[in-house]
Amino acid sequence: MSDETKIKSWKRLLDSGKGITEHKQGEESKEYPWRKSFRPAAPDIAKPSLKRDFEVGLVYYVGDDVEQDRALCGLEKKPPTAHTFKDALDKKRALLEGTGIMKELGFDKKKGKFEY
Amino acid sequence: MSIDEVQAKMTSVQTESKPAAKEKYGYFLGCVMPAKMPWAEKATILVSKHLGLDFDYMKETLCCVRPGVWKAMNPDWWLTLTSQNLANAEKQGIILVDSCNGCWISHFECLEELKQEPEKMAMINKNLSKIGMKLEGSVKVKHFLEVLYEDVGIEKIKANVKRPLNLRIMRHLGCHARKKGDEFLPRYFDEILKAIGVEIIDTPYDKTCCGLLLYFGDPDSAIFERVGRKMKTAMDLGVDAYAIICSGCYDQFERGVKVMKEEQGVTLEVPIVHFSELLALAFGYKPEDFGMEYCRPIPTTRLIEKFKEGK
Repeated sequence: MSDETKIKSWKRLLDSGKGITEHKQGEESKEYPWRKSFRPAAPDIAKPSLKRDFEVGLVYYVGDDVEQDRALCGLEKKPPTAHTFKDALDKKRALLEGTGIMKELGFDKKKGKFEY
Repeated sequence: MSIDEVQAKMTSVQTESKPAAKEKYGYFLGCVMPAKMPWAEKATILVSKHLGLDFDYMKETLCCVRPGVWKAMNPDWWLTLTSQNLANAEKQGIILVDSCNGCWISHFECLEELKQEPEKMAMINKNLSKIGMKLEGSVKVKHFLEVLYEDVGIEKIKANVKRPLNLRIMRHLGCHARKKGDEFLPRYFDEILKAIGVEIIDTPYDKTCCGLLLYFGDPDSAIFERVGRKMKTAMDLGVDAYAIICSGCYDQFERGVKVMKEEQGVTLEVPIVHFSELLALAFGYKPEDFGMEYCRPIPTTRLIEKFKEGK
């Protein structure tokens, strides 16, 4: 897929995915590209939503604006999801860590970046 | 028993809330619904309780684990992460109910695969044991349309209509809901809409994908050839609303509407409404009971006026 789309918001999304990707390949890999370390790739375009998923357990944040909208519709400000139940998020993170998925994806939760 | 008595009994069975006494439903919100569609969330809860269902939120829910992303990266990761939601539902003793097709297909297919392949069930349980959880596989997963059509019944839905909706709509069911054929969720969707008095306008684009996943790889086609074409058709036909049920599809429709307005200067005018909102209106609720006028990419003002004027 070339980046020659008409859609600016898609380009911003892709840039955001690239922005949270840190390439940590050694000098050797420049000389010998076949020696690059390999990770099963999370596509750059999907990385921003994956990052949010790792941070809150869901693809979208619930911030002040969303809380306000929810109240207008007669709902509790926070939904009964992992936004409210942090234990569910803690378990998901433990599952991601314990199974090695985070490592395989190269996600550094402290930096909030995918390392390749 | 006479034929009249048999018919009376059958009608009575159909109009009573069949599952209310037994089944406990847990509504799985997913990612999009609570953040972008609070009106739909509220309407779904109102409608379900109105029909006498033991229906409440499923607690502690996470992302459904989008198969389009996770399964594509690694099917075992998808099975493992999805099984956390399934194990939670099993522990809570509920039937997991999805109204988002993406969430439904993820839960439904994961559970089916785990039941059919014991070694995969063992694999996910080994992983879940790291967080003190376990999945037996006894949990049930249902689409919201399934609950309404099969458990409540079309006769009871009709019996609860206080105000048949005199609206012309285009509808978008979504791809995943077609998994088990046209006689399952697609028919349920249409029959329930007809039961509340809606006139469905068929178009050649009704079965076209919303473009949600296509957006990752081919944004132009996903926006202009999917959402754009559908929404322009809705405008050309002068329908009152575009009805959807899937939150994932809504996410893409909302994105499409914004892109076309902000980047193309095209203003689309037909409001996108959730199926549950139409049911709520037909059951006698007012638009303000579930916030129908708020937080929308396309205002519902004209639709609400038409509804209130009873045109």
